[in-house]
Amino acid sequence: MSDYGHDLLFGTFVTPTVQPVRHAVDLAVLADRAGLDLVTFQDHPYQPRFHDTWTLLSYVAARTERVHLSGNVLNLPLRQPAVLARSAASLDLLSGGRFELGIGAGAFWEAIEAMGGRRLAAGQAITALDEAIRIMREVWAADKPGGVRVDGEYYRVNGAKRGPAPAHQVNVWIGAYKPRMLRLTGRVGDGWLPSLQYLPGGPGDLATMNEQIDESAVAAGREPAQIRRLLNVGGQFAPTGRSLLDGPPEQWAEDLAGLALEHGVSAFILGSDDPAAIELFAAEVAPATRELVAEERARTAAG
Amino acid sequence: MSGNYGHRLEFGTFVTPTNASPETPVALARRSEELGYDLVTFQDHPYQPAFLDTWTLLSWVAGRTERIRLAANVLNVPLRAPAVLARSAASLDLLSDGRLDLALGAGAFWQAIEAMGGRRLTPRESVDALGEAIDVIRALLAVDDPTPASYPGEHHRLDGAERGPLPAHHIPIWLGARRPRMLRLVGAKADGWLPTLGPVEPDALRAGNKIIDEAAREAGPDPAEIRRLLNISGRFAPTRQGLLHGPAASWVEDLLPLVVEDGVGTLILMTDDDATMTRFAQEVVPALREAVDRRLPAPLPTTARRSVTVRARRRPGIAYDEVPPSLVDSAVEPGDVGYSQVKSNYMRGGAPGLILRPGTPAEVADALAFARAHRDLPLGIRSGGHGISGRSTNDGGLVIDVGRMNEIRVLDEATRRVRIGPGARWMQVAAALAPYGWALTSGDYGGVGVGGLATAGGVGWLARKHGLTIDHLRAVELVLADGTQVRASDTENPDLFWAVRGAGANFGVVTAFEFEVDEVGPVGWAQFALDASDPELLVRWGAAVEAAPRDLTSALLMGPPRIGQPRVAQVMAMVDSDDPATIVGQLQPVADIAPGYDQQVVITSYASVMANASDGPHHGQGEPISRTGFVEHLTPAFAAAANRLLASGVVYFFHIRSVGGAVTDVDPDAMAWSHRGVNFHVSAFGRHRGRLDALWDDLFAGQLRGTYLSFETDQRPERLADAFPPRTLARLRELKARYDPDQLFRDNFAITPDTASRTTP
Repeated sequence: MSDYGHDLLFGTFVTPTVQPVRHAVDLAVLADRAGLDLVTFQDHPYQPRFHDTWTLLSYVAARTERVHLSGNVLNLPLRQPAVLARSAASLDLLSGGRFELGIGAGAFWEAIEAMGGRRLAAGQAITALDEAIRIMREVWAADKPGGVRVDGEYYRVNGAKRGPAPAHQVNVWIGAYKPRMLRLTGRVGDGWLPSLQYLPGGPGDLATMNEQIDESAVAAGREPAQIRRLLNVGGQFAPTGRSLLDGPPEQWAEDLAGLALEHGVSAFILGSDDPAAIELFAAEVAPATRELVAEERARTAAG
Repeated sequence: MSGNYGHRLEFGTFVTPTNASPETPVALARRSEELGYDLVTFQDHPYQPAFLDTWTLLSWVAGRTERIRLAANVLNVPLRAPAVLARSAASLDLLSDGRLDLALGAGAFWQAIEAMGGRRLTPRESVDALGEAIDVIRALLAVDDPTPASYPGEHHRLDGAERGPLPAHHIPIWLGARRPRMLRLVGAKADGWLPTLGPVEPDALRAGNKIIDEAAREAGPDPAEIRRLLNISGRFAPTRQGLLHGPAASWVEDLLPLVVEDGVGTLILMTDDDATMTRFAQEVVPALREAVDRRLPAPLPTTARRSVTVRARRRPGIAYDEVPPSLVDSAVEPGDVGYSQVKSNYMRGGAPGLILRPGTPAEVADALAFARAHRDLPLGIRSGGHGISGRSTNDGGLVIDVGRMNEIRVLDEATRRVRIGPGARWMQVAAALAPYGWALTSGDYGGVGVGGLATAGGVGWLARKHGLTIDHLRAVELVLADGTQVRASDTENPDLFWAVRGAGANFGVVTAFEFEVDEVGPVGWAQFALDASDPELLVRWGAAVEAAPRDLTSALLMGPPRIGQPRVAQVMAMVDSDDPATIVGQLQPVADIAPGYDQQVVITSYASVMANASDGPHHGQGEPISRTGFVEHLTPAFAAAANRLLASGVVYFFHIRSVGGAVTDVDPDAMAWSHRGVNFHVSAFGRHRGRLDALWDDLFAGQLRGTYLSFETDQRPERLADAFPPRTLARLRELKARYDPDQLFRDNFAITPDTASRTTP
């Protein structure tokens, strides 16, 4: 049982399909209007059937008012970290503090290489991600004296100017599953962003993975609660309940409240391109889940 | 002396992407658009923390503007990987509807680039690297080549990368260049040269043009294909103080020779000052245009011109150079970038010679005038391109595509009156109405366009409860064959309004529909896979559907039997109710007609069901072969015929949809669509015209009552008589004689005019 006590966030994970051109934009605008907290897009720059995620995030930010935006997760190997840092700060400034940085170490190395990128082994890619996060946070630290100097194995920044500072503290959320990535998340992440469908043991895996993040956080002198636990989820709405996240909205709320209270998940990101599902998630599931979690937290606090 | 290169004269602004007040560059971009500039540009220095990231800013500005084109001035290629840049450029071009231009630079400020983690290059290396970057970008955007892209450059490599996405237009590549090596690169590989006046004086412009022209001739392209752009800056003052420093008239004097003698086709004003921007747009631009046209032997074109390679792919018999100016920029011809995306429709392959894409009723009239001048050519009218009967593509002819006219606007909330453009897709209509708790019954596939369906009938998932789409039509605006724009409703041109509802394709191009839509909340949506081994299945399904309350509308799909596999019918049904008990109660009798293999029932929205389609580009091939008709009841005789049809192997897709219910409430004479008494619409698709016709005619003789033209591809004259009963057809022929006596609209079941009653409208 681990509830880190964060406010709950609800968001969408929309396929950034390039045809129809405005598919992802329209669903993002819908999520914004429906009152969701987050719109996220996967990032596979080698995949021509998807929009470039950075371009899409920037365009969508301009077409929405309130919702926060993030890659889910950005592909570091094909994005230059110092440029990414300034791009992120720029988007945060333009959008009035609505950008968050979901990022991953990369996968599909053959496709990355085909694009002219550099192939890294898993361990190397994690070190590279660690270096990139350091570079980005240094660039954002506009008030610190001197230039940015990170002399990494994979990324070298040697005296680049700092800034701009983003409009708000941009959260670095890390897509992680394996022990080294989980430790990196505990050490430097502002959040952990896995997908429920990729957990081989289902939601039960969250407990052991959370433990690894927590231990690494403590070892680095951080509070485990500094790391928000986010989760990509999928499912369907049906008149009667059948299994986890397959049933009516009330059942979804109970399922998600369970994940929040038992495993400390405080951001639920719905993988769906169905407008009706997105609206139900926003209008019914989100408020009901918040209510259930608030009741339980109040009961625990009182008890 | 290079002289002018004959490009449309364009004007842009160059705005500082400062981040101290991030809304300022955005506001200046919007102001540029408002003032009529063609282009807004931003410098790109990723090492400069006082600036917004240029790509992010361009993407943001694309979301906050409608018309103005966008470019960096110029992009810093050393810090932007060209392969990712290519895909980003295609995305931004698509999202902005073809408004991106790509201006690239080889890089400068190498110390700052190195400090960011970039690689320091010598000037010579940086030019080579830029040349390679252009190759990489072009290779990834060459989507017509099906092989993966590989490029063994020294600075940039591709190794089996997938190509794409296809941008919305040919994204021109312009280079910022001063030195001879870069200028030669412009001539060899680029679409434009973008220097800055100041470092480049008029003399240097002339010298630069010479190098570019020579390099272009060597590499093959006509030097005139390369646009010459120029960044300029200056100040307005009451009296002339110097070059571009004085009153508007002195600016015009200074700029005139640059355009007329040095061939500058785009002038980009470097300023963040609203007053300067405004004065330039209002006083210098029009005066300069006039002065240029006076000085040149012929006025400059007012539209973009097509390159030699594009012109080489033109088809015979089309006066391409006489396309009305209002349509030139949006038209697509065989050599254009987007041609492969628009040449075919959903069910049919095509290779039209010209696709005109009007955005207003006046432009539709222009397109029809062009079509009247090409009467010998096939003419297709396209909204969404899903037509089966409608020939919205052809070989070597014209297509008028109204896809851009896709506005959806609520006119009156109290009466639920909604105005919809013909180019909107039904999934977009459903999504736009959902927030109001409304829906308009449409077809059953969300990718279908409004124009074709709403002039033909409209049988869909709400048919039994809410009737046909055309039953909700209250008024249309259309352009007639002679270019006249008219409105038709029960009170205005009522005979035309009668004809448009069922035979619209014969009478004009509808530019707006006004519908009265229904209140529709959440709906039940079911999909069953049922055992179809019993030949009586169709009879039981038909009886269950006819007995069901009107809330329920259903459809059934079958394919041919496959050896070793159970026979399965896919049954889908929508129940217009949000009450789980009602939904389950109404679905149960349908589910009970046969043992089931699989079933799924969800509560969802009409919009969500309609969203299960793509409205992306079509890549149909060949010709669809189909037959269709209406039937009152699914009798044992009908089921036997259907089973023989399926067993014949001639049919690969057999489809029955319920009609009946509210459809029967309307007087058959109320509109041209008159099949009011039937309960089912039957269609079959086959691969062989003759075999399908022979079998269909034989098996269903005497069983079918009329036909639905939208699904019919049999061109024999009897089909028109099936579609319209004699009285209806007679009236239609009379009206055809009035509204389209010369049969401009003849490619979708032409109604021949009744020449005896030929009169002028």
